[in-house]
Amino acid sequence: MKVKNFLKDVGGASRVTKARLAAFASASPALESTDPIGDVSREWHPGPIELVVTRITPACKTAKTIRFERTDGKKLPFFYAGQYIVLDFKIGESLISRPYSISSAPYEARAAYADGESDEHPFVEITVRRSKGDGFICDYVNDSLKVGDVLTGTMGLGQFYYEPLRDAKHVVALAGGVGITPFASMAKEVVNGTLDIDLTILYGSVSSDDIVMKEELDALDGASDKLHIVHVLSGNEPGWTGEKGFLTAELIRKYSAEDTSYFICGPQVMYKFLREEVAKLDVPARRVRFEVFGQAKDIAVYEGFPTELRDKTFMLTVVRGISEVQIPAKATESIVVALERAGIRIETGCRSGECGFCRTKVLAGNYFVCPEGDGRREADKDFNYVHACAAYPLSDMKIKIPIL
Amino acid sequence: MKFYKDHYDVIVIGGALAGLSSALMLADKGLDVLVLERHNLPGGIATSFVRGGIEIEAALHEMMSIGPKENRLKVGKFFDDMGVDIDWLPVPECYHASLPGLEVTLHPGLETFSREIDEQVPGTYDQVLKLLQLCNTVFDSVNELSIHPMSKAQMLLKHEAFVKTAGYSTKEVLDTFHLPQKALDLLAPYWIYVGSGFSDLPFTIYSVLMADYVGYGSMIPKKLSHEMSLKMAERAEEMGVQIEYRQHVDKILVKNGRAYGVRTARGDEIHADYVISSAYPNKVYTSMIEPLSEVPAGATKMVNGRRLSLTAFSVILILDKPAEELNIKDYSIFRGDTMDTDVLYENLAGLGPYRYLTCICHNYGNPGVTPEGTCSFSVTVLPRVDGWKTVKAEDYDRVKHEVAKQLIDDMSDYFGVNLLDHVLECVIETPMTIAHYTGAWNGCIYGYAHTMEDHIVARLQTAEEEKFIDRLEFAGAHAISGDGMGPAVTNGRKAAKNVLDDIAARKEAKR
Repeated sequence: MKVKNFLKDVGGASRVTKARLAAFASASPALESTDPIGDVSREWHPGPIELVVTRITPACKTAKTIRFERTDGKKLPFFYAGQYIVLDFKIGESLISRPYSISSAPYEARAAYADGESDEHPFVEITVRRSKGDGFICDYVNDSLKVGDVLTGTMGLGQFYYEPLRDAKHVVALAGGVGITPFASMAKEVVNGTLDIDLTILYGSVSSDDIVMKEELDALDGASDKLHIVHVLSGNEPGWTGEKGFLTAELIRKYSAEDTSYFICGPQVMYKFLREEVAKLDVPARRVRFEVFGQAKDIAVYEGFPTELRDKTFMLTVVRGISEVQIPAKATESIVVALERAGIRIETGCRSGECGFCRTKVLAGNYFVCPEGDGRREADKDFNYVHACAAYPLSDMKIKIPIL
Repeated sequence: MKFYKDHYDVIVIGGALAGLSSALMLADKGLDVLVLERHNLPGGIATSFVRGGIEIEAALHEMMSIGPKENRLKVGKFFDDMGVDIDWLPVPECYHASLPGLEVTLHPGLETFSREIDEQVPGTYDQVLKLLQLCNTVFDSVNELSIHPMSKAQMLLKHEAFVKTAGYSTKEVLDTFHLPQKALDLLAPYWIYVGSGFSDLPFTIYSVLMADYVGYGSMIPKKLSHEMSLKMAERAEEMGVQIEYRQHVDKILVKNGRAYGVRTARGDEIHADYVISSAYPNKVYTSMIEPLSEVPAGATKMVNGRRLSLTAFSVILILDKPAEELNIKDYSIFRGDTMDTDVLYENLAGLGPYRYLTCICHNYGNPGVTPEGTCSFSVTVLPRVDGWKTVKAEDYDRVKHEVAKQLIDDMSDYFGVNLLDHVLECVIETPMTIAHYTGAWNGCIYGYAHTMEDHIVARLQTAEEEKFIDRLEFAGAHAISGDGMGPAVTNGRKAAKNVLDDIAARKEAKR
């Protein structure tokens, strides 16, 4: 091989070494720490932020809307309408997290108060309904949370949002109960002109005083010709002239355009019903998007769960670093719940088995994984990783979780 | 509660391929190793995620340096030696080149590849094969010299081709073969895997690239790159390595020029004899060393004197039809409106429209990777960090969607099928996504650019003088071997070897 001449050829290594050292010698000695790409990623996803409750308003007889601002008054992180926030609560000895769809709009989280351009502080809101006795945190939020309380939250999570490269411009939202919240956020964003879709919300409630966020929705309806809110009442209400019954395929079809994306959020019973109704529409799978299912109400009803173990409590050995502790864990409660009861922090997101924030290594013992929305990676299954929010102990167990 | 031991032999910052390779090799030699990873799973960008019930590859296009079971290349052999048993699937082709006047799929094997080029550009077989054989000779020398350093005189005797080409750029050497433009175009598509235009890319790097990919073909793990990362992590733990996830290392503790531990964002101060950092030197020397007064001027000058290489932008689609029904016919498509790598390198400094796209349809290498009746298709550009550094948080979502749309539209035009009519899932990965999940400095995944001013041969020659802080090593794309998942493993092994050599030297000195 001879490119130029022999001496130049063999001197190549020294030549490039000199060139490199010369480049360093002429470089600036200044300590510059600029990572603008990292900075943008941190503006979108700063991790847990400190929030203060600044306003609590009724959203109907049984629900409240809680407004949070950042304790430092700054703008909240960016998010897409439809995404959720995870809030961390310390109640007694328990450390508990919960995901809530954000019911306020992305533009409200970025209000320009901090720049002196708006009177409104940037805020984020959730709307939470009191439970029928089984929702510990829902009731805590409704009954005990007060203005001035400070907690941490992580926001901009979840995949339930309009993606222009995937979804149809015409969106029909199918909502039930407090499942209206992601759509309230979308509706506000549509009216604000910052979400460019035609949105029709079909909102099923039992009776009109059951409608969550009714006043807000009424104010939004008609504020833009791109937004239509249709209440559908299943109860027999005298004087009601609107749509009646359930969100049937027939009703959904009535409000659909030729190419429509369906976004569905509501209670678990509604999912079961709507899966069948949506199937009757005969639209491509890519046009139907369900929000995550939520924690199974009763894991013992799923096929494969050994019902003879349903009243059992097992010993759960929890490894963090070189330390171990032992805590009780009920067969019918997820590993996450056992940890939270014992005051052991674990990061959670969707609490539906999908997002993987609570990815946990099982070192020993048997477990049951909720078949609803099992979001584990294949290799993780091979090595006994579970998403602890959707995994239930069937024997004494040993797990390893991150040190938080 | 006590989560860490009082002392470790080595703390590895970052549980991606490089860090895990370091950990494996050190544990194999009986050292007590702690790996701290900021995410909640191993692998960095060598990972996967699940959307709508479908597991999706995050980053790996093809893994070099593996080789078939009976004839492993260095990375494949390392995994075998360490007992990391990965289910490798061969990638069926080198690439389909879609270039001006050319639509051709080329396959691995130096002769096969040369013959296929000859079919497009008759009469080039001998010269192309000669070039590839030269690449192969240089490649063998690089592999040998990375294990057995030798004197310059010896090198010239035994590794003449390596020595004589070391001072030349890829363009300079390619010019000596007097090949027609079309043949040169077909020899260029892999350039993006090393990320420099040919007039500035050391021929040494081109040689390794071509000899490895073309000579031996590439592989992918059956259960996506998460299989590789997880098996490395699991094996490391089996060998006694402590791996802790969700641990963000804020500081590297240094006293009298010597690293002695780290502090995490959680507040744990952990001590060790050695620290291996997967964090970029830029980040380490500007914000992680504590106290910063321990950073010598030479270190900042070195960081400032080097050019960050490429980051990545991918649109990953799960489509609701089998690939062939969408006219997608190849595992890998490299598409450019020119194959002038210097021009393309300039184009990568902006925010688009991008002129050189890299597409992968995993189903062709890994049947069954998506459910029946669907396929996975990704379009990637590997931009320089320059353009993306100018994007503000408020504009991020708009820019991201504009770029993604350009990529999908370009490929839709090519296939004659509007891919947007078939999107089951759409994931857009940006430099910011990479920064978010891995903490990589400016989302850069390629480390420092391979250039004639930052030549791998020079990097090797000055490695000793660039040890600015005692007992601190670097493992990642920013280390000597540069970018790529294969080189990540090599970089990790090199950092571990430096630690082992240092321990041995100290023992020797004591004696």
